[in-house]
Amino acid sequence: MAVSAQIVARRRAANVAFVGFCYVVTAVALVALAMILFSLVTQGVAGLNLNVFTMDTPAAGSPGGLRNAIVGSIEMATLAMVIALLVGVLGGTWLAEYSGKSLYGDVVRFLNDVLLSAPSILIGLFVYAILVKPFGGFSGLAGAVALAMLAAPVITRTTEDVLKLQPIALRESGVALGTPLWRVIQQILWRGSTSGILTGALLAFARISGETAPLLFTALGNQFKDWDHPLKDLTEPMASLPVVIFQDALTPYPDLNRLAWAGALLIAASVLTITILARIFSREQKRS
Amino acid sequence: MSQLAEPETPDVSIGTVDPSRVKLDVQNLDFFYGSNRALKSVSIPFEANAVTALIGPSGCGKSTLLRTLNRMYALYPGQKTTGKIMFDGEDILRPGVNLSMLRARIGMVFQKPTPFPMSIADNVAFGVRLYENLSKADLADRVEESLKRAALWDEVKDKLNTSGLGLSGGQQQRLCVARCIAVKPEILLLDEPTSALDPISSAKLEETVTQLKADYTIIIVTHNLGQAARLSKYTGFMYLGELVEFGETEGMFTKPVTKRGSDYITGRFG
Amino acid sequence: MATPQTSARRSNPRGASLDAAFEILCFAAATTLLASLAGVLVSLTIYGWPAISKFGFGFLTNVTWDPVRDTYGAAGPIVGTLITSAVALALALPVAGGVAFFLVELCPMVLRRPIGTAVELLAGIPSIVYGMWGLFVFAPFFAQNVETPLMAAAPPGTIWETLVQGIPNGSGILAASIILAVMILPFMAATLRELLNSVPTQVRESAYGLGATTAEVVMSVTLPYVRRGAIGAVMLGLGRALGETMAVTFIIGNSHDFPKGLFDSGSTIASTIANEFNEASGLQSAALIALGLVLFVITFVVLALARLLLRRQMEA
Repeated sequence: MAVSAQIVARRRAANVAFVGFCYVVTAVALVALAMILFSLVTQGVAGLNLNVFTMDTPAAGSPGGLRNAIVGSIEMATLAMVIALLVGVLGGTWLAEYSGKSLYGDVVRFLNDVLLSAPSILIGLFVYAILVKPFGGFSGLAGAVALAMLAAPVITRTTEDVLKLQPIALRESGVALGTPLWRVIQQILWRGSTSGILTGALLAFARISGETAPLLFTALGNQFKDWDHPLKDLTEPMASLPVVIFQDALTPYPDLNRLAWAGALLIAASVLTITILARIFSREQKRS
Repeated sequence: MSQLAEPETPDVSIGTVDPSRVKLDVQNLDFFYGSNRALKSVSIPFEANAVTALIGPSGCGKSTLLRTLNRMYALYPGQKTTGKIMFDGEDILRPGVNLSMLRARIGMVFQKPTPFPMSIADNVAFGVRLYENLSKADLADRVEESLKRAALWDEVKDKLNTSGLGLSGGQQQRLCVARCIAVKPEILLLDEPTSALDPISSAKLEETVTQLKADYTIIIVTHNLGQAARLSKYTGFMYLGELVEFGETEGMFTKPVTKRGSDYITGRFG
Repeated sequence: MATPQTSARRSNPRGASLDAAFEILCFAAATTLLASLAGVLVSLTIYGWPAISKFGFGFLTNVTWDPVRDTYGAAGPIVGTLITSAVALALALPVAGGVAFFLVELCPMVLRRPIGTAVELLAGIPSIVYGMWGLFVFAPFFAQNVETPLMAAAPPGTIWETLVQGIPNGSGILAASIILAVMILPFMAATLRELLNSVPTQVRESAYGLGATTAEVVMSVTLPYVRRGAIGAVMLGLGRALGETMAVTFIIGNSHDFPKGLFDSGSTIASTIANEFNEASGLQSAALIALGLVLFVITFVVLALARLLLRRQMEA
C-alpha cells in the first residue's frame, strides 16, 4: 500500500505546529512567571530593611515595619496547624482504619475533598458567624480556626493515603500479637507514617500562611501588639502579614506600598522555603 | 500405577495422632467469606511439640484454616466460622473468648516479613511489654533469649538499637519469629514463611523451625513440598476448602492414599 | 536438648479497654470535617436569609446594588464571577496543556526536573502576590500598551468599539481574567503533567512504534487515556478561579454593574464580599452573605463533579 505523500506532509505539518505551540507557550509561561518573580524580588528587596523586622505596622508617613504582622501570622498559622493535625490525623485514621466500605465513610471522604478546594472567603464568613459575631469581636483565635479549616482536609487526605500504603500484613502482625487495635494504630502504623504526615503538614502550613481572605473577617488586623503578653491578643483582633499587605497595597501612599511589597516577598520566600524543605525531607525519607 | 481409591468422603487418617497428645483440635470447621464457603467441614488434629504442614494448591484454604486458629478473621466484618476448635479443652471459637490472651498463646509469622518501625530490641520487646511488667534487666534477658532461639542473636547483638527495617529479608523474618516467641506462646503459626526469602535465608529459617519444634507446637502452611517433607511430622493436604488427606508425612509422600493427593505430590497439578 | 519453657505470667494487655474510646475519638474527628462543611452551608443560609426572603429570585437577576436605598441585586457580581473564571480558564487551559505536553514529551531530560519543579513550586505562591503584581506592574503596562491603542484603533460604531469599552487604567474584567489565568496556570500545568505521566510507558511506546508523530500520540492516545482525570483537573482549576479573591480584588475595578466592555470595571462575588463585608451591617450584610451562598452552591457543584471525575479516573 503506497502511503500518500499528501497525507504524510499534512501529518508532519500538524506535528510541527503542535510541537511549536508547546515550545512557545512553555516559553511564554516561564517568562511570565519569571517576570512576576523578578518584580517581586526587586520591589520587595527595595522595601526591605531592618525596620521591617523590628517595628510594628505604621500609619502612612510614619516609619514602621511588619513585626507584629509577621508574629501574628506565625502565631495563627501554628495554632491552626495544631488544630488541623488533631482533627486531620484522627479523621484520616478513621477513614483508613475504621470506616471500611461504609457509605458514611465514602461521604466523609468525598466531602473532605470538596472542603479541600472550597473558596477560603466562605470559610472566613462561616467562622465569622460562629466565633466573631456571637462574641462581639474579632480575634486571632477565630483567624486560627479559619486557617485550621483550610489545613485540616489536607492533613486528613495525607494521613489516609499514607496509612493505606502500609501493608496489611503489618497491621495483622500487631493484631496477631494480641495488641489492642488502638495500640497497633498508634505504635506501629502511625510510627511508620510520620514522615508522610509531616511532609503533608509542612505543605499545609505553607499554604495557609499565605491566605488572606479567611482572615479578613476573623482576625481582621491590629496596629498594635502588646509585646509583654504576645499571646494575649489571640482573643483580640490580630495583625497578619497577608491582610497587612492587602490593606497597604490599596492605599495611595508609596511608603505603605513599599512595605506591602516587602511583605509579599517575605511570604513568597517563606512559602517557597517550606515547600522546598518538605520536598527534600520526603525525598530523604524515601531513600532511607 | 495402581488405581487409587477416590473415596466418597475424604480419607483422613486422623487416627495417626495420639489423642492424648493433641494440642489443638479442629472439629467440623466451616469458614465463610460473606456467603462464600471457603472451608468445608474441616477436622484436623495438631499434635503438641510437633510440626504439622498444610499443603495444597493456591486457593485450597490452607491459609484460611491457619488464620482461623488465632481468629485473625475477627478483624474483618464479613467473615465468620461455624464449628469448634478445641485448645486445651476450651473451644476458642465461642463468643466471649479474650482474643488478646488467645493470641499471646498462639503466635503467627506472615509470608512477608513485617518488622515494626522501631529498633530491633523494641521489636522483640513489643509483645512482652503488652502483657508483662518486667524490669529492664529481665526484659533485656528475654530479648536476648528470643533472638538466640530465632538464630538471629549473633548477627544483631551489636546493633540492637538500630531499626529493624535495616535488616535483610531473611533476618527480618527471623526477627518476626523472635518477636513471636518472646511472648512465650504455646503454638506457632507460620504462613508460607520462606516464600519471600532467598534459598540461603530459607534454609536458615528452616533450621530455626527444626530447633523450635521441641518447645512449640508448629503449624506451617507451605507451597514447597520439599519443605513440608523436611520439616513436618504430619501433613494435611487440602483442596478446594476440604481436607483431602492427612497423615504422617513420611507415609503420605511415599504412599499417598487418595488420587488427588497423589496427583498433587507428584506434581501433576498445583 | 529441649529447654523447659517457663510459662509467662501474663495479664491483659495494657489499654485493652481503650479500643472503643479511640475509635469514637477518630469517628468524632471525621464527623467534625463533615460538620464544618455542613456548617458553612447552614450559616450562609441562616445569615443570608433576610436578603433571600426579601428579594427572592430577583436577587439573582437584579443588577442594582444600592446600600443607600437598601436594595441589593447580585447579578453584577455573579456575572463577573462567571465571566472572569471562564475567560481565565480559556486562557490558562491551552497554555497549561502546552506546558504539560512539553514536559512529558518534548523537554530534554536534563531540563525536565528543574522546569517541572519550578512549575510545581510556583503553584504554591500565594494569590496575593499575583494580585500585587497585577496591580502595580501589569495594570500600568496593560493600560499603556494594550488598552489605549486598542481603544484608539477600534472603528466607531462597530462591535469592536463595544468590546473595548471602558476606562484605560489597566483594571477591568479582562485584566482581572488575565491575572486569574496566570494564577491558576502553574497548578493546572502541574496537575495535567502528573496525569499524563501516569499513562504507562508501554502505551505511549506502542503508539510511537506505529509511526505516530508526537502530536498524534498526545492527542489521540495519551490525552484520551486520562480524559476523565483531565476534565476533573480542569474543573478543579475552574473551582479555584471561581472562589479566588485576592488575585482579582485588586484589579477588577469594583463596580456592581454589568461590565459594558472588556476594559470596563466589574466585580466578582468574592471581591464584593472582601471589599464591603467589614463595613456592612443589617440588610447589606445579609445580602453579602447571600452572595456567599450563591458562590458556595456554584463551586460545590463544580468541585463535586471534578472529584467524581477524578475518582473514576483513579479507579480506571
